[in-house]
Amino acid sequence: MKGNRIAVTGVGETPFLRKGEETVMQMMTRASLAAIADAGLTPADIDGYVSNKYAGHPSEEVAHAIGAGERRFTAVADTAGGTATTGDALRLAQLAIEAGLARHILIPYAIRSTKPGGVYGFHAREPQKAGLEMPVGFFGQPTYFATMANRYDHEFGLSEEELASVAITYRAWATKTPHAQRRDPMDLDGYRQSPMISTPLRAADCCLTTDAGCAYVVSSVEAARDLPHPVVSVQGVGIGYNNYPHGVLFSQKPCTFDYPGWESAAQAYAMAGVDPKDLDLAQVYDGFSISAIVQTEMLGLCDRGEGGRFYAAGHGMPGGCMPINTSGGHMSGGYVPGINLLIEAVRQLRGQEGDRQVPDARLCAVAGLGGNNHSTTILARG
Amino acid sequence: MGIPIYPVHLEDPLFQGFYDGLDAGELRITADAETGEWIWYPPEVVPGKPDAVLEWRAVSGEGQAYTYTVVTRSLLPGDHKAEVPFTVILFEPDDAPGVRVAGILVDDEGVEPKCGMRLRFRPVEAGDHRIPGFAPVR
Repeated sequence: MKGNRIAVTGVGETPFLRKGEETVMQMMTRASLAAIADAGLTPADIDGYVSNKYAGHPSEEVAHAIGAGERRFTAVADTAGGTATTGDALRLAQLAIEAGLARHILIPYAIRSTKPGGVYGFHAREPQKAGLEMPVGFFGQPTYFATMANRYDHEFGLSEEELASVAITYRAWATKTPHAQRRDPMDLDGYRQSPMISTPLRAADCCLTTDAGCAYVVSSVEAARDLPHPVVSVQGVGIGYNNYPHGVLFSQKPCTFDYPGWESAAQAYAMAGVDPKDLDLAQVYDGFSISAIVQTEMLGLCDRGEGGRFYAAGHGMPGGCMPINTSGGHMSGGYVPGINLLIEAVRQLRGQEGDRQVPDARLCAVAGLGGNNHSTTILARG
Repeated sequence: MGIPIYPVHLEDPLFQGFYDGLDAGELRITADAETGEWIWYPPEVVPGKPDAVLEWRAVSGEGQAYTYTVVTRSLLPGDHKAEVPFTVILFEPDDAPGVRVAGILVDDEGVEPKCGMRLRFRPVEAGDHRIPGFAPVR
């Protein structure tokens, strides 16, 4: 697969709410119509779809809801979290567009974190977790990722200040982002007031609870040149997969925080023909501060084991040498897994972000953790 | 420190042997009955061997903590405020390399949990059933 063949031509989202009233389908529809309009297209122009198994709605429902024309291509991303929305979906879209199966592909996603059963409901349905982990209270993502953080600390060292600097960095960006959910400034004292969930992770180390939808449109680079916005092309997509299902993912992997991000980053940089030092900014899937630290290392933005110190040095902050999660990420901006990070990358590369615009942003990496899969995507202006 | 109280659902017979072991005061792990290889957690299908038979084998109960966390807000379904804090341990038995068993830290007065700390298995009562506890080796 080669870079510079497809472009993200339209992006859109609904407001990010702590608790919304609309269904997943309603939010996906609104976000999709916004993305299609942003691309300068109409629903009749959309002829391909990549849907997401976790959203729970196949493409015929989306196509019907947006009033689209004939569907010529559909696929479902098979991974979770950010890998599906920022990695697999783009790969599938490129395959379809290069094969001539579709011209404009819609990729929608929405989440109701406040739905009955909560965000951990799918873990509770895993027989191995229900049988062997829930009875000892080992349950829920913050608890899983807290055990990773303590192991990471054991291997590399991770002070409270270093851990806190991740949340403080993303919050600094959120204060500049009108649609971010948490715009109140936060310093180390404020971080320490955040309730402890599972040591060492506080609520401030966790992604937000969000009800919202996001969507984007993918077209060929040639078609993108005729559309309203500056072209934002996909230069590289890399995906690391391995075979640890959710039931054993958080306990039995030899290193529980060793996501396949080294592989995804190597693939993406090779496809794009660039190095980490060429990047102007990055968006990193921050389900938790610890996983953001590890993925920052995997992207090659710092050495292994240095992620906490990278953030503590202020490198990811506004004005830092490598701005990260420039709309507040999932921890302060909003949590629509991966996809709102990709949308932020596109808008930064278009150069339309006002107060939080990274000057002359031309190249951005998006890291997408999803279960035990990981994607790295390199987007470029032009 | 508290103890998490959450019902053990044994509709899935895969895990019955684990709780039978706790009742007998043993920590039991599944192994391929033919080769003796540890297969953990017990899966619906043994990788590459759909005909393989698993059997439960007791381990010594000596081992170390791969990692831990002190849970101060239980995320289990239902109201569990009275049960926190408790410390979750991922325990690595010395005689079952590659295996990790989830349990809680017990008898830990004056001991800070640490990765690599030496632990000894000791089952604890948690409502109407037992769960794996691991006590620091002092």
